[in-house]
Amino acid sequence: MLGPDHIRSLLRDSLRNLHLGDADIYLTATTQALTRFANNRIHQNVYHDDAVAHIRIAYQKRQGRAVTNNLSLDGLRSAVVQAREHAGLMPEDPDFPRLPQAPKAASVDAYDEATANAGPEHRAAIVGMVCRKAADAGLEAAGFYRTGVTELAVFSTRGRHCYHAGTFAGLLITARSDDSAGWSKGGGWRMGEIDAEALADEAIGKAVRGRNPQDLEPGEYPVVLEHYAVDDMLEALSFYGMGAHMVQDGRSWMSDVQGQPAMSPLVSIWDDGLDSSGWPVPFDAEGVPRQRVDIVADGVVQGPVHNSYTAAKAGLASTGHQRGATGGPTATNLFMKPGVQTTEELIASVDRGLYITRFYYTRLAHNRGCVMTGMTRDGTFLIENGELASPVKNLRFTQSYVDALAGCIALSDTAHLNLNEAGVAMHVPAALLESWRFTGQTV
Amino acid sequence: MDELIATALDTARQRGAEYADIRLVSNREQRIVVRNGVVETMTADESVGLGIRALYNGAWGFASTRELTNAGADEAAGQAVQIARASAGQNGAGLSAAQLLGAPVASQGSYTTPVAIDPFAVALEDKLALLLAADTEMASVPQVSARMANVVFIREERTFANTEGAHVSQTIYEAGGGVQATAVGNGETQRRSYPQSHGRQQGCGGWEYVLDMDLAGNARRIAEEAVELLTADACPVDITTDLIIDSSQLALQIHESCGHAVELDRALGDEAAFAGTSFLTPGLLNNFQYGSDQVNIVADSTSDTGLGTFGWDDEGLPAQSTDIIRDGQFVGYLMSRESATRLGLASNGCMRASSWNRIPLIRMTNVSLLPGQWDLDDLIADTDDGIYIETNRSWSIDDRRYNFQFGAELGREIKNGKLGRLLRNCTYTGITPEFWRNCDAVCGPEHWELWGTPRCGKGQPGQIAHTSHGASPSRFRNVRVGVMR
Repeated sequence: MLGPDHIRSLLRDSLRNLHLGDADIYLTATTQALTRFANNRIHQNVYHDDAVAHIRIAYQKRQGRAVTNNLSLDGLRSAVVQAREHAGLMPEDPDFPRLPQAPKAASVDAYDEATANAGPEHRAAIVGMVCRKAADAGLEAAGFYRTGVTELAVFSTRGRHCYHAGTFAGLLITARSDDSAGWSKGGGWRMGEIDAEALADEAIGKAVRGRNPQDLEPGEYPVVLEHYAVDDMLEALSFYGMGAHMVQDGRSWMSDVQGQPAMSPLVSIWDDGLDSSGWPVPFDAEGVPRQRVDIVADGVVQGPVHNSYTAAKAGLASTGHQRGATGGPTATNLFMKPGVQTTEELIASVDRGLYITRFYYTRLAHNRGCVMTGMTRDGTFLIENGELASPVKNLRFTQSYVDALAGCIALSDTAHLNLNEAGVAMHVPAALLESWRFTGQTV
Repeated sequence: MDELIATALDTARQRGAEYADIRLVSNREQRIVVRNGVVETMTADESVGLGIRALYNGAWGFASTRELTNAGADEAAGQAVQIARASAGQNGAGLSAAQLLGAPVASQGSYTTPVAIDPFAVALEDKLALLLAADTEMASVPQVSARMANVVFIREERTFANTEGAHVSQTIYEAGGGVQATAVGNGETQRRSYPQSHGRQQGCGGWEYVLDMDLAGNARRIAEEAVELLTADACPVDITTDLIIDSSQLALQIHESCGHAVELDRALGDEAAFAGTSFLTPGLLNNFQYGSDQVNIVADSTSDTGLGTFGWDDEGLPAQSTDIIRDGQFVGYLMSRESATRLGLASNGCMRASSWNRIPLIRMTNVSLLPGQWDLDDLIADTDDGIYIETNRSWSIDDRRYNFQFGAELGREIKNGKLGRLLRNCTYTGITPEFWRNCDAVCGPEHWELWGTPRCGKGQPGQIAHTSHGASPSRFRNVRVGVMR
């Protein structure tokens, strides 16, 4: 780890006496170790660390940038000079506000010493257990177990100085037979909260139950979506429309439905970077404190998340959602309000429908309504008379995620944290939806 | 750097590695994005570091560092062996390096992408002027709500060495550019892109590669097409018809339904948890009719301007061209040393890492459909009833690479051998071998283009590879079209 004192003195010195106008540096440093397995053995096992400084110089409504992983003072100063040169070449952007001033961000609990210090022997032992369980069940396991540390810091000539260190851990398991597969995934910022045995049993159980899948005629069916599938929905809704830049361009699914009850009253979605039950990050890449933002409240679409640029255009204050050094604002710490029934009760309420473990390779087919296409994967079952009746072959869908959530009948009482490799965290329940449009089936 | 390399490899050997290799990478990237008349991004990125793989008792370990010193390399080498030992401790007895990797690789030499104009020697003002000119053209079209123009230039210097005596150095230049217009109105949102979607066209080359695109000269046309699409008829729903696919959309079809399907690590289950597996299992090699006899696909890392073009792969294997599909038959995989050895074959040099801090994986090089003999006008004239589609908009395929669905930015009806009305929101779907077996015509070399795919994701931790795919427009019979309502 670089540590807050070293980072602060390094960034401060790199901007000293340069007479640049406004400047800020966003620094990300990540150490990650990942043990990957397939065919019941470890086949890839890696460690990497990197630290990258994103430098921004702004004056007279111009801004220039440079990025480097050379964190020597000379390396940083060279990048600063390059960013300034870029700024000098830029045409003025009348909408560009000054670099933001911001109050000090709250500090959040997100660092776990045991996770930070986990070694390859620990990871190998967990993976070994998963592989042995799979082999005992006549299955082949694949997946990864990872641990690591992320440090984030912003230093600005406008008075923003912030630092955050967080840990992360994740275990992902696919268990496979010749004709079935099961999936499980757990993670967060404390590796001690990962119940590896339970995750192994979950994936193995689905793979065993999924053997001999049947054909099913594509069409519209009620669905019970596991939290893994709901996670996919929220990720898509985030990336295809929760950023204010997309709304301002008219490219967001929100563009026509802000203020309207576009989803079921059961659906409430918000972003909260300070909630330690997610993967908290207390400030954004501009050093602006993360604000809780209601995206959908009781089915009514509220509004997008902002960075300082989109907020200035809208006459608002930034909500602290500039995710990286470039690109638009993004909601990356989403929560969906749970319901009151168990997942088993959701299944029991369906006469004939489908139970979906997760979606795969989902892509935007049309931004109006966030129409997505993708496949089911790793555990798709027909529900008949309130019970999982039989496994079915994976299905392709073409479905508006907004319309699907308009037909939300119930949500499970337990939400799960899904933390992906890119640091996007979704805390979501399982969902019972009135209808899902399946448009094809695979071999 | 030679001393650093020797230090790292010696340390790995002394700690017990039976085989080790090291890559030193220095990557410089310049990116400029103009969005809605404003320079949204003008950035210079540099990333420098090294990565070391070590093999111990048949198990791998990898460690990387941005500290390019003897001490940094020494520490990374020790860490790589420690990780390999941890892997071996769980895996049990493993194969020897010779059993695992086959014949030693001891390549020597250097390679540099041929460029006419070094893109890093071109003034930023010239690059900006090119993008702003394209933006102005798009801005002149009413109803265009969002405009984007961008260029990217990359120079990557890589040195690879291994304990078998290989030592190669290469400098790869990439250049890319593109424009995109989004129109909103009539309850619709429509986008057009040039030269292709996903932001830009990209290849190995210099500044001349971008100049040849003539972004400004095509910007107004694509903006007008985006507006025209707002009121175009919707693609017919759920019909089966003949489809003529333009070369850029077909390039992505090749990428998803062939390129990934012939990655041997997928076929062997190594990517099962993430990218998935493949229906092209080893038992089908030389024993499976993948497509019609019109379908000939090669993996060629020697193609001019391809993003999969290099001197050596990241295991030191030289660039080469090998057959993947010959006269419709499945005849070859993309392979690494380890995976090829498992099948009793030799690697065809497809191991590539996205960065110094990632391990090499089996990745596509330039996986291309060889040209046929048709002229495009003749092919359209030969089609009674069908749809011509152009430029990818959406893409998805299942985890065994069977069931796919693609969307295109633009479609045109074909009636009685003539192009007709414009169609919006065109989609098509199918099952890979059925689809390729229904390919009955491939256009000739004059229509053949090599398209860059610079955002191919694979692996955990994630890696983004740069690949290319050559294709010319082709016809597919009896395709299910119009999946989206």
